[in-house]
Amino acid sequence: MEVSVIGNPQTKKIYRAELTYRELGFRLGSQNISGDSRNRVSFLTHQSSKWKEIKIRSSPRSVRCEAIVSDQAPFLKPTPNSRSLESVKLFVGLPLDTVSDCNNVNHLKAITAGLKALKLLGVEGIELPIFWGVVEKEAPGKYEWSGYLAVAEIVKKVGLKLHASLSFHGSKHPEISLPDWVAKIGEAEQGIYFTDRYGKQYKDCLSFAVDDVPVLDGKTPMEVYGSFCESFKSAFSDYMGNTITGITLGLGPDGELRYPSHQHETKVSGAGEFQCYDKHMLSALKHYAESTGNPLWGLGGPHDAPAYDQQPHSTPFFSDGGSWESQYGDFFLTWYSSLLTSHADRVLSVASSAFKGSGVSLCGKLPLLHQWNKLRSQPSELTAGFYSSGGHDRYEAIAEIFAKNSCKMIIPGMDLSDEHQSPASLSSPESLLAHIKTSCKRQGVVVSGQNSAASVPGGFERIVENLKDESVGVDLFTYQRMGAVFFSPEHFHAFTVFVRNMNQFELSSYDQAVEGDKAKTMSIGSGTTGAASLQTA
Amino acid sequence: MSTVPIEPLLHLSPLRRSSTIHRGPTTSSLNLRCHFTSKKLHSIGRSIASGNSLGFRRRSVAIRASSSDTAVVETTSQSDDVIFKGIFPVQRIDKAEGKIYVRLKKVKENDWELSVGCSLPGKWILHWGVSYVGDTGSEWDQPPEDMRPPGSLAIKDYAIETPLEKLSEGDSFHQVTINLNLESSVAALNFVLKDEETGAWYQHKGRDFKVPLLDDVPDDGNLIGAKKGFGALGKLSNIIVKQGKSSSGSTKERKGLEEFYEEMPISKHVSGDNSVSVTARKCPETSKNIVSIETDLPGDVTVHWGVCKNGSKKWEIPAEPYPEETFLFKNKALRTRLQRKDSGDGSFGLFSLDEKLEGLCFVLKLNENTWLNNRGEDFYVPFLTSTSLPVETEAAQVSGKTPKTNQEVSESGFTDEIITEIRNLAIDISSHKNQKTNVKEVHINILQEIEKLAAEAYSIFRSTTPTFTPESVLEAEADEPKIKISSGTGSGFEILCQGFNWESHKSGRWYKELQEKADELASLGFTVLWLPPPTESVSPEGYMPKDLYNLNSRYGTIDELKETVKRFHKVGIKVLGDAVLNHRCAHFKNSNGVWNLFGGRLNWDDRAVVADDPHFQGRGNKSSGDNFHAAPNIDHSQDFVRKDIKEWLCWMREEVGYDGWRLDFVRGFWGGYVKDYMDASKPYFAVGEYWDSLSYTYGEMDYNQDAHRQRIVDWINATSGAAGAFDVTTKGILHAALQKCEYWRLSDPKGKPPGVVGWWPSRAVTFIENHDTGSTQGHWRFPGGKEMQGYAYILTHPGTPAVFFDHIYSDYRSEIASLLSLRNRQKLHCRSEVNIVKSERDVYAAIIDEKVAMKIGPGHYEPPSGSQNWSVAVEGRDYKVWETS
Repeated sequence: MEVSVIGNPQTKKIYRAELTYRELGFRLGSQNISGDSRNRVSFLTHQSSKWKEIKIRSSPRSVRCEAIVSDQAPFLKPTPNSRSLESVKLFVGLPLDTVSDCNNVNHLKAITAGLKALKLLGVEGIELPIFWGVVEKEAPGKYEWSGYLAVAEIVKKVGLKLHASLSFHGSKHPEISLPDWVAKIGEAEQGIYFTDRYGKQYKDCLSFAVDDVPVLDGKTPMEVYGSFCESFKSAFSDYMGNTITGITLGLGPDGELRYPSHQHETKVSGAGEFQCYDKHMLSALKHYAESTGNPLWGLGGPHDAPAYDQQPHSTPFFSDGGSWESQYGDFFLTWYSSLLTSHADRVLSVASSAFKGSGVSLCGKLPLLHQWNKLRSQPSELTAGFYSSGGHDRYEAIAEIFAKNSCKMIIPGMDLSDEHQSPASLSSPESLLAHIKTSCKRQGVVVSGQNSAASVPGGFERIVENLKDESVGVDLFTYQRMGAVFFSPEHFHAFTVFVRNMNQFELSSYDQAVEGDKAKTMSIGSGTTGAASLQTA
Repeated sequence: MSTVPIEPLLHLSPLRRSSTIHRGPTTSSLNLRCHFTSKKLHSIGRSIASGNSLGFRRRSVAIRASSSDTAVVETTSQSDDVIFKGIFPVQRIDKAEGKIYVRLKKVKENDWELSVGCSLPGKWILHWGVSYVGDTGSEWDQPPEDMRPPGSLAIKDYAIETPLEKLSEGDSFHQVTINLNLESSVAALNFVLKDEETGAWYQHKGRDFKVPLLDDVPDDGNLIGAKKGFGALGKLSNIIVKQGKSSSGSTKERKGLEEFYEEMPISKHVSGDNSVSVTARKCPETSKNIVSIETDLPGDVTVHWGVCKNGSKKWEIPAEPYPEETFLFKNKALRTRLQRKDSGDGSFGLFSLDEKLEGLCFVLKLNENTWLNNRGEDFYVPFLTSTSLPVETEAAQVSGKTPKTNQEVSESGFTDEIITEIRNLAIDISSHKNQKTNVKEVHINILQEIEKLAAEAYSIFRSTTPTFTPESVLEAEADEPKIKISSGTGSGFEILCQGFNWESHKSGRWYKELQEKADELASLGFTVLWLPPPTESVSPEGYMPKDLYNLNSRYGTIDELKETVKRFHKVGIKVLGDAVLNHRCAHFKNSNGVWNLFGGRLNWDDRAVVADDPHFQGRGNKSSGDNFHAAPNIDHSQDFVRKDIKEWLCWMREEVGYDGWRLDFVRGFWGGYVKDYMDASKPYFAVGEYWDSLSYTYGEMDYNQDAHRQRIVDWINATSGAAGAFDVTTKGILHAALQKCEYWRLSDPKGKPPGVVGWWPSRAVTFIENHDTGSTQGHWRFPGGKEMQGYAYILTHPGTPAVFFDHIYSDYRSEIASLLSLRNRQKLHCRSEVNIVKSERDVYAAIIDEKVAMKIGPGHYEPPSGSQNWSVAVEGRDYKVWETS
C-alpha cells in the first residue's frame, strides 16, 4: 500500500479536468511540499573541504525527466577561435502584460513556476517590461508601482536578477496604451504623436519633436520621463544594484530607437514611410530649411517616397541615383536622422542623471532593420531615421551618444540568419548585425543581445554563434519572451538544450582550469529509448 | 530531511566598529553567511557576483550601509565582554507518520457505512465523488443527496468536500462516516484526502482511492462488451480495496459487498518554530572566547562545527580541549552534543576557543537526516577583535549577502533554497570524482523539477494568455469568399443532426433504424448527420475503440453502415463518422501484465502509448494534451501512429463513404496533429469535441468566459481552422442565462455573443445537448423545459448549429422544424452578422443579418417598426422569432 502526495500536475484530470484556479492554487502549494517529500536531499557543506553528504530518495515515478535527458542533440563543442560563453549572462523576458493596467500581476502562478524552472536551468535573470501607461495611468505624477514591485519581489525570492525595461511606448499586442491622461491631451491637441503623410497618427509613442515642448500639462515629455525614472528609483530602492542590475530606457516605438516607419506588422514588405507630418515636426523642418537657405524644402517630406506596402523601387526616392542621393535627400535625411539622435541623447541623459550611482547599468535598444539592406539606399533604415551624410557609418552618431551616456546597446535579431530570409526581401540580418556591432566596438559601447519576437528556424544555433563571436563580446543576452509558447513542450525543450549548450562552456572551462580532467559522460538509464546520455562534465 | 534555512534576525556588529563608533546602533551590517557560496560560485564562473565586478561590489557596500536600518543590531556597548550575540529563529520540519484507514461496515440489513479516518493531526478534508453504474472513464459524479454527511460542501458538479471530525477531544484521530445509499446506482466511491493546513493532497498510488460497491458492472443482459472490457480494465484501474473475490457471475445484486478494514501508512511534515541563541564573550583571564549556544529544539541536538583562522574561511579543527561529548568527524569537523537543560526543554553548550581564532562555524544536526543551518549557509560566529580584517573580504562578504537580503523563509523560499543548493551541489560534486554520491540522481532530480515547473507554467499560460485576437480572425474571415467548402465549415450553411443517443446501441440495429428516417431528416432541413463511433469497442456505445478496422459494432455491421451512408447521401445529407483518436483499448498485456499491446491490423506496441500515464506503461512520448484515464492514450507524436491513423481515416472515407468527422476528446492531443489528419483525409466537414469546464467563482458562473472560449479557439487555431469545435462556452452560458434568468450574460463586453461563436463563428458548432450532456447520462443537462429557447438561439445565430436526436423525436419536433426551415429559408449561415439589441435581466434579443429578429426570455421585445416589415415566424414559450418579408 502506497500513499503518495500529489505532485504531478497531470493528476489534475482526475477531477474531471475541471480544476478552478482555486484548486490550481492548492496544487502550487502542495507542489512545494511534494517536491520536498519525494526527493529528499540533505547535505552539509564544509568550507575546508568539498566534503558532501547526500541522501537522495527518488520515487519510482521519477522517469519523467527523460524527455530532457534523452535528447540527442549534440552539444556544441568549443572551437579554438570561439569565445567562451561563460561571460554571457542569460536573461529571459517576462510577458509584456505581466502587470495589467489595474496593477494586477497576470498569470502570477505561471510566472512563479516559470521563474523557478529558469533559476534551476541556470538562467541569470529576468527582464521585466514596465509600461508608462500602467504606472502613471491616471494622472501626471501619480505612480502606481505595486504590481511591478510584486514581480520584483518574486524575482528576488527566486534568486534571479532583474532587468527593468522602462517603456514610454504603448503596445498593440497585448493592448497597452500610453497613460490615459496623455491620450486625453493627444485628443485635445493635435500633433503630439508621430503622423504620416496621410495624417494618420501613431498613438503608441510621442513624437520626437515634442521632447522639449511643454505639451504634457505644462511639462515636457523629458521632464515627465525624468520624474518617472526618479519615482522608479525610489520605489525600487531596495532592489537597485542587487536584484535590479540593469535598466533599459524606452527610446521609441516598441522601445526601439526608431521612427514608427512600419506600422502594419503583417505587411513589412515595403520600405516604410517617413513620419514627419505632425505639427511640431513640420515646423522644425520648416525652421531647419529656412536656416539652411532652402525654405522651399521645408514645406513637407519627400513627395516621391513609396507607400507602406509598395516596393522600395516602385517610386524614384530610393532608387539608385534617386532623390535620397540628391542634395535635397541629404538635407532631409540629415534633419530626420538628427532628431532621432538627439532624442536618444535626451532620454539617455535624463536617465543617466536619474540613475547615477545606483549600481545599475543603463541600456537602450536599437532595431535591426535588415529588410532591403542589400539595396544601396537601405530604405528601411532611412525611413526609421538611420542616415549619415556622405555615406558615413549611419550608426556612428548613435553609438557615440550611447558611449557618452555610458549606456549599453541592445541589438535584437541575434537569432536571424541570412539563409532563412526571403531572397525577395534583399535582406541580410547577419551583415547588419556585424555592422552595428563594429560601430559599437569603435565607440567602446558594450553590446547586449536579444532574439527577434517570432521564433525562427535555426534560431538557437544562430544565437550561440553570435554570442561566441570574439570580435565584439556580447555581455548579456535576453531571450524574448516567456509565455505559453515559451513553455510549450516543443519550445522549452529547445530552450533547455540552448541553455545547456551555453553552460557547457562554463563547466568544461572549469574542469580544465581546476581539475585538468576530462569531462565524463554518464549514461542515464532511460529505458529502451536508446543511448541517452547526459554530459555531466 | 533537508537542511533547513534560518532567517537571521540579527546582523552582527563587529567589535572593531563599536570601539570606534560608540553611540547608538551601528549602521553597517556585515552578514553572517555567504563566504562559502560566493567563493565556490566564483571559482566556477557561475557566480552571481562575478569576479571582475569588484568595483561594483564596493558600491553595493555603500548602498547597504545607508539602507540597512531594518536589521536588528544589538549594540555591544553594554558589555565589553560580549563580542557577538544573536537569536536565530529555526524552523524545524518533522515528519509525522500515521495511517489512513478505510472501513466498510454493515450497520444493519441494507444499511452500510463507509468510514475514512486518519491518525495524524491536521485539518483533514475528504474530497470525494462517486461513479455510477455504467460510467466509463475516471470522472467523478456527485453522490446522491442522502449520502452526503452534514457539513459537506459541493465542489462543482463532480465532488463533495466533507471535513473529518475529531473522534474525541484530545485525540488526533479524525474520521468521517458516509452512509451508503445502496438504492442508488452508485458503483464506486472515489476520494482523495486533503490536509487544509498544508494544502497537501493524499492519494493512493498516484490516483484516487476507489472503493467499489459492486462486484462488477451490473449486467442487463446485453452488456457483454462492457463486462469484457471491465475485466481488462480492472487490472489497470486503481481499484485498491477489492472486497470479496473477483466474481465471475455477473449479477446486479450487491451480494458481494463485504465488510472490510484497510490501513495505509501516510506521512506528513509538521513544522515547529524554535530558536537558537548564540553568545560569544571574551574572557581576558584565559585568553579565550567563550561561545554559548542555546536552543529550545527538542531532542538531541548536535553541533557540527569548526573554526576559522588566518583570514581563511575554511573549516578547521581547533586544538584541544574540546567540550564534553565531542567527537572528531572524519577529520573535517567536530561534533559536540549539546547538554539537555535541566528544565527539559532544550539544550545548551559552551565552547571555549582560542581568542586568536577568527570565528566559529557550525550547523546543527537533529538526527541522521535533519540538519539546520542558516538559510543554506553555515552559522558563523566571528571573534574579530582587531581591525585586521581586509577590506576586500568585507566587500566580498557583503556583496555575497546583498542578493539575498530579506529573503523570507516562506514555503517557496525554502524550496528555492533547496533548489539552488541542489544545483550548486551538482556542479560541485561533478568535479569530485572520488565522491561516491550519485551524480545521476541529482541531475535527474533537477531536470525533473525543471520540467515539472515548466509544465505547470505552460498549462497556466496556455489557459490564460490571450494569444489569439478575435479581430484578426474577423478580418481574415471577411476576406474569405462567402461560399467555399472547407473542412472547418462545410459550405457554411450546414445544419447538423446528431443521429444517436446514449441508448442507441441497445437495439443492435441502429443503422437500419436510422436509414428509415433519412427522408424525414432531409425534409426537416438537416444537411449533415453525425453517426455514432463505428469501430469494435470495449464499451457498447463505441467510445472505447479496440480494433479500428473492425467496423462491426453494437450499432450494426459494416455493411449496414455502408448502406446507411449511401441512403443518406441519396437524400443529400453528408455523414460524419465519430472518430475516437485519443485512446484505444489494448488487445494484450505486456510482460508486466499491463494492457498496452494492440492487435488487429494496427498491431502497435507500447511505443504507441503516451508515457505519462503510469497505468499503461507507455513507451511513447509525453502526451501532447490531457489524458483520458480509462484506456491507453495514443501517442500521436509517433510517425508510425500518425501514418496509420491517416491511412485509417482515408480508408473510412473510401470504404464507408464518410464525408467527415466528429472527433472525440480532442483535448487529449495537440491540434496540429488534427490538422495533419484533416489534410490527409480531406473531409467535407469536421468538428472536434474540446470540452472542459467554464470558470466559476464560488459556484457562480463567471460572466467573462473568455479564457474558456480562448482554449477552444486555441485548439481550432492549432488545427489551422481545419476543424470546427463544439461551442461548449455558448452552451454553458445559455445554462446560466436561462436557468437563473440572467439574460445579460448573452452579450460580451464588446456586444458580441459570449461564446466561441462571438469570436470565430465559422468554426463554432453550437449545440445545446449531446449524448454525454443529456440522454440517459445527463452529465450536464440543458435546463429542463427551456430547450426551445436554446434552439431559438443557436438556430438563428451564426455558427453551425447541431440538433440532438432526442429533441427531434420529442414534443419540440414541430417547433424545431419551424426554426430549421426559417434558417434555411432566410439563408442564415455560419458567418451571419448578429446584432445584439437587448441583453437584460429577463430578455435577450438580436437581429441576424438584418432579416431575422429573435428574442428569448420572459421579458418584452418587439423588433423596431421601421423600414423593415417584421412578421412572426416561430413563437413558443419565452421565445419569439421574426423574419422580414
